[in-house]
Amino acid sequence: MTFDWSVVWQHRDALAAGTATTFLLTIATMAIAVPCGLLVAALRLYGPVPVRALATAYVELFRNLPLILVVYWAYYVLPILADVGLPALATGLAALSLNVTAYNSETFRAGINSIRRGQVEAAMALGMSRTQALRRVVAPQALRRITPVLASTWVSLFKDTSLVSVIAVTELAYVSMQIRAQTFRVLEMLTAMALIYWLLGYPQAKLVDWIQRRYAVTE
Amino acid sequence: MDFDFSVITDNAGFLAHGVLITLALSLASGGTSLIAGFVLALLRIRGPRWLRPAIVFYIDSMRAIPVLVVLVWTFFALPIVAGVTMSPFTAGLIGLTVHLAAYAAEIIRAGIESVRPGQTRAALALGMSQAQILRRIILPQALVRMLPAFGSLASVTIKDTAIASVIAVPELMRQSETVAGQSFQPIEVYTVAMAVYFLLLYPVTRGVDRFYRRVAHLGRS
Repeated sequence: MTFDWSVVWQHRDALAAGTATTFLLTIATMAIAVPCGLLVAALRLYGPVPVRALATAYVELFRNLPLILVVYWAYYVLPILADVGLPALATGLAALSLNVTAYNSETFRAGINSIRRGQVEAAMALGMSRTQALRRVVAPQALRRITPVLASTWVSLFKDTSLVSVIAVTELAYVSMQIRAQTFRVLEMLTAMALIYWLLGYPQAKLVDWIQRRYAVTE
Repeated sequence: MDFDFSVITDNAGFLAHGVLITLALSLASGGTSLIAGFVLALLRIRGPRWLRPAIVFYIDSMRAIPVLVVLVWTFFALPIVAGVTMSPFTAGLIGLTVHLAAYAAEIIRAGIESVRPGQTRAALALGMSQAQILRRIILPQALVRMLPAFGSLASVTIKDTAIASVIAVPELMRQSETVAGQSFQPIEVYTVAMAVYFLLLYPVTRGVDRFYRRVAHLGRS
């Protein structure tokens, strides 16, 4: 069996563009899912009862669905709901955001809940308003616990962007598999794809470990 | 908008078969990853020193590579290297195990290391062997402490089997795609698939949580 690895180098521009899209998707999803996750967490913690129930239902639903199914579902349902054809990239972004928002809201909620009630009560006894207590007492401590979890969500998301390849978003996995189909260099292209993901993902995983050590909370 | 759910009843057997394959693949890959993860965790803690960097490297690599990529590589590229042909199910089982065993190993290692070293020293002082200490002192406590993490691993496993649809494993996701494609009613089909996955996954996450709350006291020391 002969392998022809030059095929990888020949398609370097396409692979680079795919890698850029993968990063773009990761960054854009996080940029949407952090504020939205915070909002959902706030609704669950402080909203009126019906809103709370709705937010809980959303979070539980999306945490208990395979992402790849959400991607397909968004691909077929969003155009009907929005009444316009959406580009694949926007659909993929929407599916990823729906999923990650649900996870982030749980991260925020757990972070806020991990700060004992007594601290807010103590702050209010010192004359702070509820908002002040949340901003100056709860938020700084919660942030310390939330950061490492957000970091590992980031790495999961980076990998999960590969799933939007099933609706032809031209990110790294889709591009690599397209080149494989055109050139029939199956082993070369699939190995290159795995290697590129590894090269990009490994440092990120190590960075997460470092953040987790740095922000470790000991009580 | 009109919805016609007769497409589901017409293909009920076909979709139910998909659910069975989803369950079979989940159980099989869950089981093999637990065994492989246990061996890896023990080797990482107690194994020869030279082996440890290799295990850490493997685990971190699996945290870096998407499971889709592992599955596609196992199904399309591995047969070229190894010179064997595999059914999609076998490739799915191998790919998922390679991926999930890394996570299982980390959970098991964390569980074992959470038992204070003083207990091991005390047991050694009482004359127990290493194997006895593991079996009678460490594991009974560690297993209980691992339960919540195993619960989320079980949920991840079921969700990851859906990704095996890209290598044509005829599980629920794949069967739904087929029915959706043939019937031109993707909305009905995928909405029902969502409901089925939710009904499979929600009891797993909730059930493990409830069971853990009942036995959590057994893991305290």
